[in-house]
Amino acid sequence: MGAVCVLAPVVVAAWPAFSSAVVAAAASLGYSVASESAGALRKHHTPKSENAIQLEIERSEVVTNTLGRDQRISVTKEGVSITFSRDARGKAALCVTGNGQSQEALRACGEQLGQAVVQQYVYQKLLTEMQARGFVVVDEQHHQDRSIELRVRHWEG
Amino acid sequence: MGQHEFEIKIEADGCVTMHARGFKGKSCSEVVKLFEQIVGEIRSEQKTSEFYEPDEVVRFQIDQKA
Repeated sequence: MGAVCVLAPVVVAAWPAFSSAVVAAAASLGYSVASESAGALRKHHTPKSENAIQLEIERSEVVTNTLGRDQRISVTKEGVSITFSRDARGKAALCVTGNGQSQEALRACGEQLGQAVVQQYVYQKLLTEMQARGFVVVDEQHHQDRSIELRVRHWEG
Repeated sequence: MGQHEFEIKIEADGCVTMHARGFKGKSCSEVVKLFEQIVGEIRSEQKTSEFYEPDEVVRFQIDQKA
């Protein structure tokens, strides 16, 4: 057999890899990308009249250079807008807004998409790193509970 | 040529369960370390019977003729 291990994800990503995970996760949950831009446009995406929930992705660090610090990406679905950015401590943060939505509903939307972003980040990183080492994905299944199963082989000779 | 196989499940929240088959001893520890580097922190680890099998060694026996 070998070993069975359970790993908790740690997101340490440059902005391009992080935003790529946001786009993939958003698409999987039916969101569309509203904009990806520098911070100067932030006020357009978070009107003060809306409910707003601030969340962060635990165990995350968005690595960026000085020029990229204010980058953000917004996605929308059915009146809910979620903007991802890098907070002052370098963590991945998200702001969820939506008129007519309860705070609980907004929080649930944010948490679901935040988890999906982490899943997509892990999925993309695993594929990239394994392929770089000559591992071959021989089967891939996406389940209704949103989990992803991969069967990977590696030949050593 | 040895074949190794992994079953990897990525949960909706990003947690990963990885089952490595075909590894013994040190090589198994190395692959667990690799996944730790790629994914993050190890929450739990269970070594299966194969882990404790000795690494494959080719042995030669040379009989000396009198």
